[in-house]
Amino acid sequence: MAREFKLPDVGEGVAEGELVRWLVDEGDTVTEDQPVAEVETDKAQVEVPAPVNGTVRTLHWDEGDIVPVGDLFVTFDVEGEAPEPADDEEATEDEGESDEAAASATSEASGRTFAPPSVRKLARELGVDLDSVEGTGPSGRVTEGDVRAAAEGGEEAAEPASESKSATQRVSGDEPASAGGAAGGQEAAGREKTLAAPATRGVARELGVDINDVPAVEQREGEAFVTAEAVQAYAEGGQAAQGEAAAGGPDREFAEGGETTQPYRGIRRTIGEAMAESKYTAPHVTHHDTAVIDNLVKTRAKLKARAEAEDVKLTYMPFVMKAVVAALKEFPILNSELREAEDEIAVKQDYNIGVAVATDAGLMVPVVKHVDQKSMLEIADDMNELVAKARDRSISREEMQGGTFSITNFGAIGGEYATPIINYPETAILGLGAIDERPVAEDGEVRAAKTLPLSLSIDHRVVDGAEAAQFTNRVMEYLSDPELLLLE
Amino acid sequence: MVVGDISTGTEVAIVGAGPGGYVAAIRAGQLGLDVTLVEKDAYGGTCLNYGCIPSKAMITASDVAHEAGSAEEMGVYADPEVDVAEMVDWKDGVVDQLTGGVEKLCKANGVNLVEGRAEFAGGDKLRVVHGGDGQGSETIEYEHAVVSTGSRPIEVPGFEFDGEHVIDSRQALAMDDLPESIVVVGAGYIGMELSTVFAKLGVDVTVVEMLDDMLPQYGEALTRPVRKRAEELGIDVHYGLAADSWEESGDGIVVAAEDEDGDTTEFETDKVLVAVGRQPVTDTLNLEAVGLEPNDDGRLETDHEGRTDVENVFAIGDVAPGPMLAHKASKEGQVVAEVIAGEPAAMDYQAVPAAVFTDPEIATVGLTEDEAAEQGFEPAVGKFPFNASGRALTTGESDGFVQVVADEESGFILGAQIVGPEASELIAEFGLAVEMGATLEDVASTIHTHPTLAEASMEAAEHALGHAIHTLNR
Amino acid sequence: MSENLTLVQAVRDGLRDGMAEDDDVLVMGQDVGKNGGVFRATEGLYDEFGDERVIDTPLAESGIIGSAVGMAAYGLKPVPEIQFSGFMYPGFDQIVSHMSRLRTRSRGRYTLPMVLRAPMGGGIRAPEHHSESKEAFYAHEAGLKVAMPSTPHDAKGMLIASIRDPDPVVFLEPKKIYRAFREEVPDDPYEVELGEAAVRKEGTDVSVFTWGAMTRPTIEAAEKMEEVDVEVVDLRSLSPIDFDTIVESFKKTGRAAIVHEAPNTGGLGAEIAATIQEEALLYQEAPVERITGFDVPFPLAALEDYYLPEPARIAAGIEEAFDF
Repeated sequence: MAREFKLPDVGEGVAEGELVRWLVDEGDTVTEDQPVAEVETDKAQVEVPAPVNGTVRTLHWDEGDIVPVGDLFVTFDVEGEAPEPADDEEATEDEGESDEAAASATSEASGRTFAPPSVRKLARELGVDLDSVEGTGPSGRVTEGDVRAAAEGGEEAAEPASESKSATQRVSGDEPASAGGAAGGQEAAGREKTLAAPATRGVARELGVDINDVPAVEQREGEAFVTAEAVQAYAEGGQAAQGEAAAGGPDREFAEGGETTQPYRGIRRTIGEAMAESKYTAPHVTHHDTAVIDNLVKTRAKLKARAEAEDVKLTYMPFVMKAVVAALKEFPILNSELREAEDEIAVKQDYNIGVAVATDAGLMVPVVKHVDQKSMLEIADDMNELVAKARDRSISREEMQGGTFSITNFGAIGGEYATPIINYPETAILGLGAIDERPVAEDGEVRAAKTLPLSLSIDHRVVDGAEAAQFTNRVMEYLSDPELLLLE
Repeated sequence: MVVGDISTGTEVAIVGAGPGGYVAAIRAGQLGLDVTLVEKDAYGGTCLNYGCIPSKAMITASDVAHEAGSAEEMGVYADPEVDVAEMVDWKDGVVDQLTGGVEKLCKANGVNLVEGRAEFAGGDKLRVVHGGDGQGSETIEYEHAVVSTGSRPIEVPGFEFDGEHVIDSRQALAMDDLPESIVVVGAGYIGMELSTVFAKLGVDVTVVEMLDDMLPQYGEALTRPVRKRAEELGIDVHYGLAADSWEESGDGIVVAAEDEDGDTTEFETDKVLVAVGRQPVTDTLNLEAVGLEPNDDGRLETDHEGRTDVENVFAIGDVAPGPMLAHKASKEGQVVAEVIAGEPAAMDYQAVPAAVFTDPEIATVGLTEDEAAEQGFEPAVGKFPFNASGRALTTGESDGFVQVVADEESGFILGAQIVGPEASELIAEFGLAVEMGATLEDVASTIHTHPTLAEASMEAAEHALGHAIHTLNR
Repeated sequence: MSENLTLVQAVRDGLRDGMAEDDDVLVMGQDVGKNGGVFRATEGLYDEFGDERVIDTPLAESGIIGSAVGMAAYGLKPVPEIQFSGFMYPGFDQIVSHMSRLRTRSRGRYTLPMVLRAPMGGGIRAPEHHSESKEAFYAHEAGLKVAMPSTPHDAKGMLIASIRDPDPVVFLEPKKIYRAFREEVPDDPYEVELGEAAVRKEGTDVSVFTWGAMTRPTIEAAEKMEEVDVEVVDLRSLSPIDFDTIVESFKKTGRAAIVHEAPNTGGLGAEIAATIQEEALLYQEAPVERITGFDVPFPLAALEDYYLPEPARIAAGIEEAFDF
């Protein structure tokens, strides 16, 4: 029976592709998934796989033709199968098969699914509804492969993490502790276990104090021990003579082995002073979140080869920079500078993104200028050049000035979240954690996805937490669904 | 036990050790469950002790006697002497071997065997009354219970079984000496199998059947060879007659049967065997205690896992819906054991084969042509007569045919019907084909050994495809 | 090699192994010989070892126990059985005046290597006297060891340890669970040391101490509780009590509950609560909860289920300890 195969969607919403060349001839026998043609879109070149086992009856186009997506592409001869629209098999990057492909005539007539007992058992084990599986065996019989494919393909492609899903993790180390009565008093000990007489525990309970927080000077049986008086004193927040011994009790030992010193000057000192000025001037708030970037990973993989052809090493940073710029356009307040002396906030019209670089001499932040006006490849190229210059100390001062927003990629070394210090006098800095596979919960199921943790520190004099969150959400949107950057 | 009631705890309590129960027990034991199997009579149930096995043994023995004495065509002359008591002894030996085997298999798989009659006592408990000179009764506390109590012969009013004049199939297979004549009420598979046995052993057999055909669920084409043979064996079959009453008369009895107009026919005979069907055994279980009730057919409704309306109570075999067949019970026993053990098992079989061990045998699996059409298929049918089969001719048994039913469009085999020599064995190939979702092409293009009866299966498939070699294609 | 046995089968197995390895071990009691024991605990022993080592006695508890004391004093190792622990009372004098004291009385010249076995506890719908749980009486008597296994594996191991012990052991068998479940029990003799508790379930929020037939409902309650992480300790021996394990558990959690079917007042729950606060007062975060039988004679069958602690009542008690 003839099986007509139409050109499937070759990705990224492209409506047509150029048939570069055929990989099979008419009359050839093909197996399912065997590539039959190379088709090029303006984004990438893809291979089109055969949707069935069979023989090639007719190739409907010539090499060099522009083939619209959805047009009849190849006709195959398959035994026993009714002619179907071939929109069930997709090109490489599509996740999951469509389970709604028209069932074969046999199944429609009787509602019966034909499958051997071993396959039925497998379907039960994998939790697959056999009646919804499209069979690719002879006459539409359901095979083991069909069941396994249905089991995997049932998961949806990674979606852009919507605003509602990800929990915002705000770490605000500067917010004053609100413990009743203990404000300005002794620091809570925060132990896990405390020994105390039951009466003492009663006192703690009455005073609303967690006995594990009462600083302990005494130890019994190797555990911290507190008296009722200690509980009282802690509750009153007085400067009782309990001392500031931590959970370890008074037994802390001081290192007695001596020390070595090294000079604090030069670049180290410059960095130190800059850090101090930034941190002590701007109240920092860091907003943490995680972007699910399966799509970004795929996109970059696809484009990497093309970039290499142009002699450009394409990392994730250009994508992040593009995403940041797109988000800054929407939330320009993060692309600004507070000038307290003039009582004004200057919102910058340029988009000059600093990229923190770790060098032997310390941290440097070369600036890629006018990121909004440059293409991805240009950004990558500029950045690579600047980073190289920074590393061999040939970078100029101008090349490290004029930044309006900075990005620091500590994840290149490792780690998930941090509290980066803003590159003063900018208003915000985005820290990137390590790109890694982490568990992601979607629709009640946990799967392993490529994720990128983000840590955005902002100057809370200029920007509020809400804007920080919104900005971050926007950045994550672009990172999760890089195609959106095409619209920018 | 002196005072008090100490429950024995178990994970799975199975009531009835027939082909459903003992298979469930062995499988559950294999899966590491703590199983207790309760049986009030004999391990192996009706099938092993009073049904399938003894009847097939007697069929074979009576066949041997009959064939030896009627093989002159082949140049064999003999007049065999038959000692029925010895035949029955041999049959009993076969049964004992099998039931002993069941007991051994159960013990080897860690199954705890309890002899007695069980009934539900509420609260996940069974009360078992020990038979014989056992110690009264005991309580079994179960996590899961499986009801596999099987079925018993239906008693016709007026024909209560007395073991002497009015007998059931079980008693019929235990007779040490045969009567000169016998009336068999019911021309179903039990009635016809036993009639054939008696006829071959020289008994004058009269069959009285209420409907107008024997083995009515198989259709005229399949029963014709059997009817023909019955006539040849001297079995006198009367249709449209319902057995009404009997009374003693001289040394024997007289059985009176009525037709639909009310006219009576009388049959003088020595004994009457009543084989009008079987009914599920659920009335001895005190099902109310566990909140269950049999449906109108007397069965316990179950889902595809064998579970009843009560979550931890399962039913299999003749007490559950479906054909009353031992292999169906065994399959259900396996599934239920696996479900209890937490495996993703289910009754998802596509077809249950059935066989009648008459002469010739009948066997079917899956859909008939009519059933296939009803279900929306376009049926393709292929048929191969045994008189075109070389092997069949060499056995002297060439009456009958193999018929296969498939879906015209896809070629999927939907069913098969066979009447003829070894039908009960040959049907297995089609059972596999139906389960696998095999097509006519698959069977037709598989090389079958020559010369065998099984070639007829291949040729029937070829016939459906229009290219059989040894018979004319339509 | 091992076999899946019920608790009473494991007792039988332990008796058999004990008798096989030492000719001085003998079994005596009502119906233990030809009848094989009313609970089948001595089934087959009469056939294997004969009537000089498996002795059917008259219905006379004082005589049974007293004779055993005499036999033990002179070098035999008798394992007398009292058919129900509630019938030990007629022989109580023999137990507390002699069985427990002969070592002291003789300054160590005589010890009594005897094991007094009795099925104990309720839950079998029996009439009066047949459901007693008075392990506290015997734990209170110095000079006696008291054992109460709750699993088949422990039953055989502790019985063999008791038979081999040179001092007297009161071996109480919770008959409700005689056949409740099966467990793998090694064929060869082995010991489970007396005086050692077993942590049946580890946890960090509340320690629950229990023994006998109450172990199973306690574990059931503990496993069902979602917010509370419960640790369950099966004492197994009631004299000596393994206070090391108990205190270690209590120091971990700071909260305790005790479950026993014996009546509340004077039950061993009180002993444990007292010792806990002696040894670990500073760790205590809540009062010790006791979930027990009531201070009434054990009721008849119809009310039995209200008397015995069951998972719902046990969980409620644990909740109390947790919420304090």
